[in-house]
Amino acid sequence: MLTGALIAGVIFGLYFTLVGLGLNLVFGVMRIVNLAHGDVLMLGGIAAWALFSAFGLHPVVTAFLVLAVFLLAGLPVYYAVVPRLLRSRDAEMLSLILFFGISQMIEAVTTIAIGATERSLPPRLMGVGPIILLGTRLPKAWFYSAAVSAVAVLAVYFYLYRTRLGTLTRAVMVSRDEALATGIDVNLVSAIAFGISLALAGIAGVFAPFIMGSITPNMGVALNITAFAVIVVGTLGNPVGTILGGIIYGVSVMLMQTYLSSWANLLPNLLLIAVLLVRPEGILGRKTRRA
Amino acid sequence: MKSKLLALLMLAAVAIAPARAQQAPSEIRIGQLYASSGPYASISMPVYDAFKLWVDEVNAKGGVAMQAFGGKRIPIKLISYDDQSSTATAATLYNQLITQDHVDLLVADSGSVLTSVGVPIAKEHKQFLFDVSGTGAAFFSEDNPYIALMADPVSTIWPHYISDFLNDEGYKEGIRTVAILYSTNDFTGTQAAALKGFFERDKKVKVIYYQGVPTSTSNYTVLINNIAAQNPDAVLELGYVGNDIAFLRNLQDSGNQFRFVFSIYAGTEMEEIEKNVGVSAMKNIFSYVPASNYEYKAEEGMSQKEFKAAWEKKYPPGSGVAFGANAIYGYMTGVVVQKTLETTRSLRQMDIHDAVFGLSGKLKTLDGTFELRKDGAQIGEVTPLGQLQEAGKDKLDLIAVYPPDLAHGKAILGK
Repeated sequence: MLTGALIAGVIFGLYFTLVGLGLNLVFGVMRIVNLAHGDVLMLGGIAAWALFSAFGLHPVVTAFLVLAVFLLAGLPVYYAVVPRLLRSRDAEMLSLILFFGISQMIEAVTTIAIGATERSLPPRLMGVGPIILLGTRLPKAWFYSAAVSAVAVLAVYFYLYRTRLGTLTRAVMVSRDEALATGIDVNLVSAIAFGISLALAGIAGVFAPFIMGSITPNMGVALNITAFAVIVVGTLGNPVGTILGGIIYGVSVMLMQTYLSSWANLLPNLLLIAVLLVRPEGILGRKTRRA
Repeated sequence: MKSKLLALLMLAAVAIAPARAQQAPSEIRIGQLYASSGPYASISMPVYDAFKLWVDEVNAKGGVAMQAFGGKRIPIKLISYDDQSSTATAATLYNQLITQDHVDLLVADSGSVLTSVGVPIAKEHKQFLFDVSGTGAAFFSEDNPYIALMADPVSTIWPHYISDFLNDEGYKEGIRTVAILYSTNDFTGTQAAALKGFFERDKKVKVIYYQGVPTSTSNYTVLINNIAAQNPDAVLELGYVGNDIAFLRNLQDSGNQFRFVFSIYAGTEMEEIEKNVGVSAMKNIFSYVPASNYEYKAEEGMSQKEFKAAWEKKYPPGSGVAFGANAIYGYMTGVVVQKTLETTRSLRQMDIHDAVFGLSGKLKTLDGTFELRKDGAQIGEVTPLGQLQEAGKDKLDLIAVYPPDLAHGKAILGK
């Protein structure tokens, strides 16, 4: 059972890397906490359900559409909300309140639009039956989701370290003021990072029905807590640390389900408290915090 | 002397007449909570929508004819609030309905979790609580006369056909071990404990896995693998709608197979589960057979077919809330409320209590026979055990398979 829990935890955790990745990117670049991140993820799931129900669109195709649409949608949302927020005296704290409000709005509007009940996609779309890894039976969808997550992590890494825009983004991550002083269009760089963050959340949402069984308009808040735990464990502001955070979260969940199942929902909060008390800078620490 | 007596009588008549007229209220205020969002929305909204359907039906006739007011028809005013599946919000709103809105009758939200906070509040304020489907055993005690369970049997009784079947027909077919996986809340926790007790008492089928998981659990893959490692013959998964969706999907994805698998909502909210997990993941799953799939002869209110037609007229398919057991529970609660109002001596809460308990064993609705234990627990509407059996391509029927006197077919156990 221990081996099974560890293997399942790593694969499961890779998906949660994707869940936390965008949130960490936004924090790294803008030093704000997007508490509507989980709701954006939910919208990705709703998009997958709606496009499949209406046009029979496969979720992988939807993932590409979501990538484009959410990325573009992030730009106006950024300009409407974030620069004003960053001019305030305590942007980090105010961002919590503002994005919590946005989160509630998204949940309410979605509930009005489609109702509050569970929505899902047929399991056959990702292939029915398990993949057996070292004797552990895991759904095929987990491997596809983990693969998408790995591709997303590599793409973010490539963007940050192999493109000019990525270099500028890292400059903003190190110091927004200095980047501004050197003539970087800080708002454009941040807006693109914000769009990428929404796109990553949206893609994670497309695969959510296969990982979480179904999607509901109210799932955002719980996902925010999980995503927050993942990035705090991995190191806030360090997108690469999210991989570690995701895997630690996944393995911990599976171990809890195996040995102490009744308490499994306490896990994100326990991880948050433990890391903040023992190593507040996150497991990867300060040296790697700023790109 | 005669004229004095006549004058006295006339005086008494004049004094009583206005008092009687004042006693008849212009409306009956019924307070109810519902959850339009959150994890319990899928069991709450059908109850609420069905109850509203009953209110509209009654008000279209001018209201409820109350014997207490000389048979006068009095319209219903429904005061309802959205607790958003939050017990904290529900507690505040139960209080508000009692102390601010001064409702005459109080109807709980659906399910044990959102009812649990209403029970002590209603008791404290001596307000009778129409508990729609909060089946947690802890809600009912003989020192609390202010509660009665409308639909669904109390959790300690409800699952006994499962253990009876496994100990009887299952045992004959070689079922020896069972795994019980439940969500840790009043509803499923009590059922799980009751089942464990039944198996331990009967000493035939052995419980080899007994684990609780948080109600928020949305992934069961590792839990299913852990259960499979114990190699049980039967698996009983007791959860809410979201739990059952995740469990059934993960079970199919894992490729693990058990001879007998039970899930509460595969049958009780069949439409909702089918749309999320698909027919193939539900095939041969055992479940309760609710009144939405089993026709009881209704002597009061609409029959199941009439109610379904009325439901589909008011809430056409695709409008958001699926027809299922919870819709029946909401309407059935309306029927009990109606009979209570018709027969109560007054709107005093103990008179309401007496009227509700006066219906026990006599009221037959589309949900079966309404029968209460002394403490208010429902003991009459015990649902048969059913199985989702193939009925053509991509179609399943929920067939009652146990007990034999209620069965419509034979159970198919896995190899």
